Order: sequence, then structure tokens, then C-alpha cells
Amino acid sequence: MNFWQNFKRDFLVKFWAPIPAVIALGILSAYYFGITGTYWAVTGEFTRWGGHILEAFGVDLSTWGYYKIMNMDGNIFTRIDGVMIIGMFAGCIAAAFWGNNVKLRMPVSSTRVYQALIGGIIAGFGARLGMGCNLASFFTGIPQFSFHAWMFTLAMILGVYLGAKFSLLPFFQSKIKLKKVSCSKELHTDKKRVNNLFKLGSIVFIAVLLWAVYLIFVQGSTKLGMAMLFGSAFGLAIAKAQICFTSAFRDIFTTGRSQMAKAIVIGMAVATIGVFSYITMGQPAKIMWAGPNAIIGGVLFGFGIVLAGGCECGWMYRAVEGQVHFWIVGIGNVIGSTLLAFVWDDLSLQLATSWPKINLLESFGNYGGLFLNYGLLVLLFILILVLEKRYLNKSINR
Amino acid sequence: MKKDEIVPDYRLDMQGEPCPYPAVNALETMKDLKKGEILEIISDCPQSINNIPADAKNHGYEVLEVDSSGPTIKYVIRK
Repeated sequence: MNFWQNFKRDFLVKFWAPIPAVIALGILSAYYFGITGTYWAVTGEFTRWGGHILEAFGVDLSTWGYYKIMNMDGNIFTRIDGVMIIGMFAGCIAAAFWGNNVKLRMPVSSTRVYQALIGGIIAGFGARLGMGCNLASFFTGIPQFSFHAWMFTLAMILGVYLGAKFSLLPFFQSKIKLKKVSCSKELHTDKKRVNNLFKLGSIVFIAVLLWAVYLIFVQGSTKLGMAMLFGSAFGLAIAKAQICFTSAFRDIFTTGRSQMAKAIVIGMAVATIGVFSYITMGQPAKIMWAGPNAIIGGVLFGFGIVLAGGCECGWMYRAVEGQVHFWIVGIGNVIGSTLLAFVWDDLSLQLATSWPKINLLESFGNYGGLFLNYGLLVLLFILILVLEKRYLNKSINR
Repeated sequence: MKKDEIVPDYRLDMQGEPCPYPAVNALETMKDLKKGEILEIISDCPQSINNIPADAKNHGYEVLEVDSSGPTIKYVIRK
């Protein structure tokens, strides 16, 4: 009994350490690519949901170029990205419910509501223009050796910087006042509620595992089943360790903390060699256009996620924790990506499709590309150290 | 010092505010405190678990207590 109680406390209830979790995500994402043939990504599927909603309202999508690229065949239950996201939500729910981390948190002001919606729209638009979010154009895009991901990432850091400056303008700052107190605040816990939440989380998690096993062994859809299992692991890890890609670069500029950014670079370094081994064995890499779309999309995305407070991947676990703010961000993301799909046919030729898809492994040879990717990762790591030092020097010596 | 003996001088109740505002306000507040004074920060942004304690340490403050057993998290920090 004691063993179970300790296990529950240490692994299911408590938060996980973020740095090992990000590195584990890097490893998992490489295997995910090897097994399913695609990379870990979420915004593409959200874009398809926007398309399905338009179809439900009778809009004919056959003339929309963006939905042709996105491949709208099937539905959420038959697409790898779709079942992966179902698994991710289940993992996020399990993490939040096991950890007694569910609470309806209402926005404190209308400013925050607009921030969430407008930030969400800008981020959704930028992500789709740049062909991916913090995942497909950054965390899982760079290990694919797609040069567009590097362009997007550098542009995103600039966008994050601008977003951080903007979001800390006096207008946006919290109106909450400091109080003089003479005792500590008592935080109440309702044991019965905690237990019920734990059971509910367990039911959801077990249900999705059984669903995945059914897909693999009964239906014979091994890729779908494995994608769902991977999704549940991704969801569990991001929620239990509170992995926030948005905070990685933002917090270097807001408070001078860089541990998440460094961990992400290490995670990508690990994923790079894993993905490389699958590509050299014949798995086709996911390469996108290295055009102005990646730069404009990156700046918009970086600005949007900081204004909104979270990205496409982060809002998922925050939404199930009961953070109403992030329900609005999620809606904004779907609106933004649908807007991009709407204007895509007017922009795509100049900004994206007439530009080359640059695969570092083809441009520089397999090993040239591999070493170049690692060289760029080292430079990114150094950039993070420099930015952090700049902030702390300014802040502490003030 | 035992946990239940810690008496904060000030409280910053940031419930409802999303990150990064709890961490940013906490650091701004700490700047104005006198050495030895204790600030209690209440936040229900779960992500603050990865930023408030780390930021406090980076700025040379002492993290006395972190209670993250529920959705509302308490941080006690001494300058």
C-alpha cells in the first residue's frame, strides 16, 4: 500500500521536472517519426477542423488551395494527426486530474479576453503561413533538416521579443495590488473531490490505452494505434512537466530565465540524430518551402503566442485544466488558421510555393547536412546564453 | 525554520492572471522589499511552477516554501 501511495505521489500527482521531460519528448518525437512516417504536429489538424466546420456550413472547399495541401481526406478518427491529438488530450486530462490541477479559472479582465483572442488569431495565422507551430516549424521541424524551420525559428525569436515588449506595456500589466499581511493564506483542499478527479483521470487514461490497443490488434490499424499511444505520452509529459514552448524564449526577455530554451535545444539535438537514422534508412523527410512565408509567419507567430500567453500545443493542456483564457486562445487559433486558408491562394505563389523546399541533407549531402544542423544548434544555444546574460546584467545591476 | 512558522510580510494574490504576469509582478515586488522581508505569492497559473521559484533563485532570493498540492499554488520567498 505504501509503495502505491509513494508511486502515486511521486509520479502521478506531483509535477515532473521540465528539463528531462523536454529531452524525453525529443527522443519520443524521433521514434514517432520512425513509426508513423510523420512528425509530431498539431496545427495542421486544427486547420482541418476549421475546414470541416466550413464544410458543415455548406462552404465548398474544393477551390481552396490550402486544404488541398493539408489533405482533408477522412476525419479525426482516421488520420494519424487526428488520433494523436485524441491521445494528447487524454494524456493532458490524466495529468491535470491526477495532479488535482483542475479549477475553473476565469479571466480577470476584458483586456485579457481580447489578448487571448487576438493573440490566438495572430498565432494561428502565422503558424499556418509558416507551415507549422512550435512543433512542425521548430521542435520537430528542425530535426527534419528542413531549412524553413530555421528561418521560422529565428523570425519567431524576433516576434517573441516584440511580443514580450508589447505585453509588458503598462496597459497590459496586472492591476493586482500588493497587500500587507500578518498570516499565511490557507489553501483549502477537498479530499473527496481530489479522489474523484484522480479516478476520472485514470478512467480516461485507461480508456485511451484500450482504444489504442483495439486499433492495433483488432482493427489492424497499427499506425493509428501507435500514434494514439504516442499522443497520450506527449500529452502526459507536456502537462505534468508544464512544458511551455512560448515561455522558452519569452522568459529570457521578461525575467532572464533560459532553462526551458536550453532544454529544447538539447531535445532537438537528440531528436536530430534519431530522425537522421530513419531518413538514411529511407523514410522521406518532411520539408517545407523556405520562402518569405517562413519569416513573416515566424514573426507573427512569435508575437501572437506571447500576446496570447500560449501556443497551439500549450493551450491544449491548459484548456483541460479549466483555464478559460486558453479556451479562447484555442478558438482564436482555429479562426486564424482558417483565415490563412482563406487568403492562401492570393499569397502562396509570391510568398511560398514559388520558393524552393530546402532539405539540408540534399543541399550539403547526408553528413554535411547533419553537421550543419548541429552547428546551427550550437549557435542557437550560444544565442540563448548571450540573451540571458544581457538580461540578467541589466536586471540585477539596476 | 519550520514550515508552519513562516509568517509573510506581504501577499501578492495573482489568481486568474496567466503567465508571465505572476512571475513578472513577483520580481517587480521583490525589488521594492527590504532585505529579510517575506513575500507570499498565490498563483493559479500552473506553469508558474517552472518560473517563479527559478526566477527568485536567479535574482538571489531565497525560496522558503512552494505548496503545489492543489490548483492554486503558494510560493513563499524571502529577500
